[in-house]
Amino acid sequence: MTAFLEVRDLTVAYGAIQAVRGVSFTVERGQIVSLIGSNGAGKTTTLRTISGLLKPVSGEILLEGEPIHQLPAHEILARGVAHSPEGRRLFARMTVEENLRLGAYIRKDEAGIQEDLERVYSLFPVLGERRRNKAGLFSGGEQQMLAMGRAMMSRPKLLMLDEPSMGLSPIMTQKIFETVKELQAEGTTVLLVEQNALAALALSDYAYVIDLGRTTISGTGQELLADPRVQEAYLGEGVAS
Amino acid sequence: MSILMSQIVNGLILGSLIGLIALGYTMVYGIIQLINFAHGEVFMVGAYGAVGTATFVLPTAVTTQWWFLLPIMIVIGALVSMVVAILMERFAYRPLRNAPRLAPLITALGVSVALQEAVRVFYPEATAAIPFPSIFIPGALVLPIGDGVPIQYSGILIVVVALVLAFALNTFVEQTRLGRAMRATAQDRDVARLMGINPDRVIVLTFALGGALAGVAGVLYGNFYNFINIDMGFQNGIFAFTAAVLGGIGNIRGAVVGGLAIGLIKSLAGQYLPGGGAYDYVWIFVVLIAVLVFRPQGFFGETERVRA
Amino acid sequence: MTATTEKKPPAHAAPRPKGIAALKPHTTTLMVVGGVLTLLGSFLPWATFVLNKGPYPAQATLQNFTAPLASSGFRLHLVLFGIAAIVVALVKRIPARHRIARALGYGTIAVSVINGLWITVEGGGLGAITASEGSVAFGAIVALIGGIVLALASRVGDLEPVPEIGWKFNRWVEWLILLVVIVLLLLLVAAVLTSGGFGATATYAGAVFLSFLAALGGFLGALHAAGLLGWVNALFDRHRGYAVILLLVAALCLPLTSAGTEYWMTVATNIGVYAATAIGLNIVVGLAGLLDLGYVAFLGIGAFVAANLSGAAASAVGIHLPFPLVMVIAAVIAGIFGAIVGSPTLRVRGDYLAIVTLAFGEIFVRSAQNNIGGLTGGSNAIPGIPPVEAFGIGFDQALRIGPVSLPRGVLYYFLIVLLVAFVMAVFANLKYSRLGRAWIAIREDEDAARAMGIRTGPVKILAFLIGAMLAGLAGAIFAHKTATVSYESFRFLESVTLLAAVVLGGMGTIPGAVLGASILFILPEKLREFADYRLLLFGIALVLIMRYRPQGLVPDAHRRAELVEEPEPIDTGGDKPTTREAVAP
Repeated sequence: MTAFLEVRDLTVAYGAIQAVRGVSFTVERGQIVSLIGSNGAGKTTTLRTISGLLKPVSGEILLEGEPIHQLPAHEILARGVAHSPEGRRLFARMTVEENLRLGAYIRKDEAGIQEDLERVYSLFPVLGERRRNKAGLFSGGEQQMLAMGRAMMSRPKLLMLDEPSMGLSPIMTQKIFETVKELQAEGTTVLLVEQNALAALALSDYAYVIDLGRTTISGTGQELLADPRVQEAYLGEGVAS
Repeated sequence: MSILMSQIVNGLILGSLIGLIALGYTMVYGIIQLINFAHGEVFMVGAYGAVGTATFVLPTAVTTQWWFLLPIMIVIGALVSMVVAILMERFAYRPLRNAPRLAPLITALGVSVALQEAVRVFYPEATAAIPFPSIFIPGALVLPIGDGVPIQYSGILIVVVALVLAFALNTFVEQTRLGRAMRATAQDRDVARLMGINPDRVIVLTFALGGALAGVAGVLYGNFYNFINIDMGFQNGIFAFTAAVLGGIGNIRGAVVGGLAIGLIKSLAGQYLPGGGAYDYVWIFVVLIAVLVFRPQGFFGETERVRA
Repeated sequence: MTATTEKKPPAHAAPRPKGIAALKPHTTTLMVVGGVLTLLGSFLPWATFVLNKGPYPAQATLQNFTAPLASSGFRLHLVLFGIAAIVVALVKRIPARHRIARALGYGTIAVSVINGLWITVEGGGLGAITASEGSVAFGAIVALIGGIVLALASRVGDLEPVPEIGWKFNRWVEWLILLVVIVLLLLLVAAVLTSGGFGATATYAGAVFLSFLAALGGFLGALHAAGLLGWVNALFDRHRGYAVILLLVAALCLPLTSAGTEYWMTVATNIGVYAATAIGLNIVVGLAGLLDLGYVAFLGIGAFVAANLSGAAASAVGIHLPFPLVMVIAAVIAGIFGAIVGSPTLRVRGDYLAIVTLAFGEIFVRSAQNNIGGLTGGSNAIPGIPPVEAFGIGFDQALRIGPVSLPRGVLYYFLIVLLVAFVMAVFANLKYSRLGRAWIAIREDEDAARAMGIRTGPVKILAFLIGAMLAGLAGAIFAHKTATVSYESFRFLESVTLLAAVVLGGMGTIPGAVLGASILFILPEKLREFADYRLLLFGIALVLIMRYRPQGLVPDAHRRAELVEEPEPIDTGGDKPTTREAVAP
């Protein structure tokens, strides 16, 4: 059986600098999979390559068995891969609703879009209350909700979230991760990149450690939480003891 | 008094035209941060395309009825300019999308020279100004002020068409799905791609819209002044660029208001400032420098800007 | 059904690379065949009849074809190419054979296309170069095939890297070699300049000139491929001082060659004026990275200052100062305006700055057109500027030194050569000075430069000031040489032309600016039949250069290519990934 998403031996470079040099992993349908690792390990670059913003130097990315690494970004989205980028990157000068509608840009079913707008608003009521406000005026947590909502609006099969907890309070982080869990329950596959390894691993069905542009350790969330190498490098001593 | 009034009228007419051209500058700059130097030539090409069609293609029966000829020429002008703008984007600018900024600017200069020369060389007798047929109700409305202030009907046409088109464009950009895609691409091209937007298509659309508006402006210009020449693109292009900067580049309403301001400055400076008409261009360039140096973000707030 | 048959050609085309690759073992044969075909083409007639404008040069026409082996002109070039190709094919010890073959092939193609096309167009159809009224002339086609075969051979074979030749000799021997090289260069320049002649009798000047240029390109390409150019370059570097002096002497000797007529001296002087100005512009654009679209105004300011201070009858000022003083004043005033135009750089950057300079340029032209302050003559221009005089000799006079007689205009030529040399010296010294490094730092990254403690404001204004002064000097000479100064010489298009010269030659390099200026100002001189298309082609050329060779003909080796994309464009759109991310909120 073919995996839902398979990344094989991916190499990506910015000019002469290789940011990713041999990342391989698979994501099965319906799973939450995390990529963890330190700053500059190549996680964000990996996501940007999967969503088509970057082209790999070598290696393959297969979605449901079909190679997608040569497709432009907008076609990859059309195949059901949504990417909520690092730093949220909202359209700050547009309203909440405009941002969400852009998330549904490729869809033409107005009724379905309305339905999903309502769903996002019920998931994050604060967005519904301020749907006519400009996104740039929002707090970090609210922006993250909007970024997630925007990524959900295309009804993706695979949702990629890059550092969704960055700069958020613990309560807000909790809220975001609960939403991820809910999305999984609805059948969405999630690929998560996180610095907050503890929370990410607790949530994940499977996880990979990326170090210096390579996948090194992998296992279920629980396995990695228990792995002393992971504890030492990414979870901090507080957790290990 | 009536001199002042008629200068204001002239200024508003010229200003509406400039505003119409400025829309193309402002949209293109908003979306790819390129000063499309050749946009003025797109305006010029539209005028020549329309007059060429009227002269060499259309049967005379058609050309005698203004109510029939006017819409045809406007559409042809818009089409010619649009096609030129699209080709220009596709073959000159797109390959340089990721190049350092000097490269597209120099390319734009090259396109500008090439377009102007292409018309001069290939259009019959284009080395001198050529007459443009009058395709609208001749004569003027006379305002009863002082000795009477005449307003050419063709001038009224310019103001009305310019305002209507600018309003339509603004509505398109603000209210429609494609307009949203344009604004999104202007703000953050990468994320726009993550939304499923194909930036290449949005950019072509931007060039096409700007080109079409410039083409319309070209026809209206010819109809009003009754002559067109190959320099009209360069001069009015610079004016329009000044207008776009004045209004805050990337800002559609700003471009129109900037255009009106430039029109008024030109006609009033030509009347009242030392040097008179011979120096009216100079004053516009002075304004351009002053704006770029002291208020490069223009005179309209940040909030409505299409630009990231 | 028809649709499917129409679709076939692409399907056939697809496996073609395989077909070419199959030829790989036979590259030597291919090269020999290409060389032989080129030779054969050169010995065949090229035109079937005498064209309306007179017989095509180099005895190419059938009727004139009495001595096939007495080749001259482009046919001689092809003979040389053919022989060279065969030699390169057979002598396997020669390094980089395929690369040489490629240069020879391209040269052959260019020469045969230019001449073949010319004859076709002038002769009114393909009959002129194939068969017509019982005569046959397949020279162009055979040579073209020869060239294509040569290029094909190089394509099939692996292109070798350009070899580095490490020959070193005793200093005197190297000096002698340099002397020979520079003398050859001088003769070559004279030959290029005068090729095809001028005036009413030179009906095929354009074709002869272009063909010569193409042959020269192929020839230099072959030398470069063999590593010889690199070696000569290294020689230059080793004996820089000596070579520079020699070059200067050689430039001053140009009037002694076939180019020593009044006409060519005028052409060379005009080229010199624009070359000097282009080098000045290169300081602003190439070194400091500030795009100046109104630069020609400084040439104009210099010219008008000189016109007013040199006793021209039409001048409102009406004083007559000695020429050296006039030059200094012209430079100073141009420099002051340069600083004024440059001052917005304190607040404005990038393409906005380009527009500011354009606006200043336009203000200058409009003011000059309106005869501002009575200083510019407006549309009447300022005529009757007296020639420069020194030691009682007017610079517009012919000169006789002992047995050597020099044509009129030669003194202005000497003057402009000295000016160009001076400007080059200024440029070279600045480029490697503290100031030059500051400019380059600003060009690469202005914020970083500021962070390193460079006071970017004054440094940028200095770039404008110095560039403007150099243009002012050139303007002063220009005024005297042409004797009439009109605002029409300083329009926007002239600024664009100068910019194009810099861009075409290569930003930030001296030979680049000189080469660019020379090409852009000789071409219209030679291609008068295309005078109408000059600017059209020029605009298209700008677009093509930016797309295919943004670094110019002579790229700046020291420069982190500002106009070339980063080596690996993996990002499929948007700006460069790094900058985008840095900017993201």
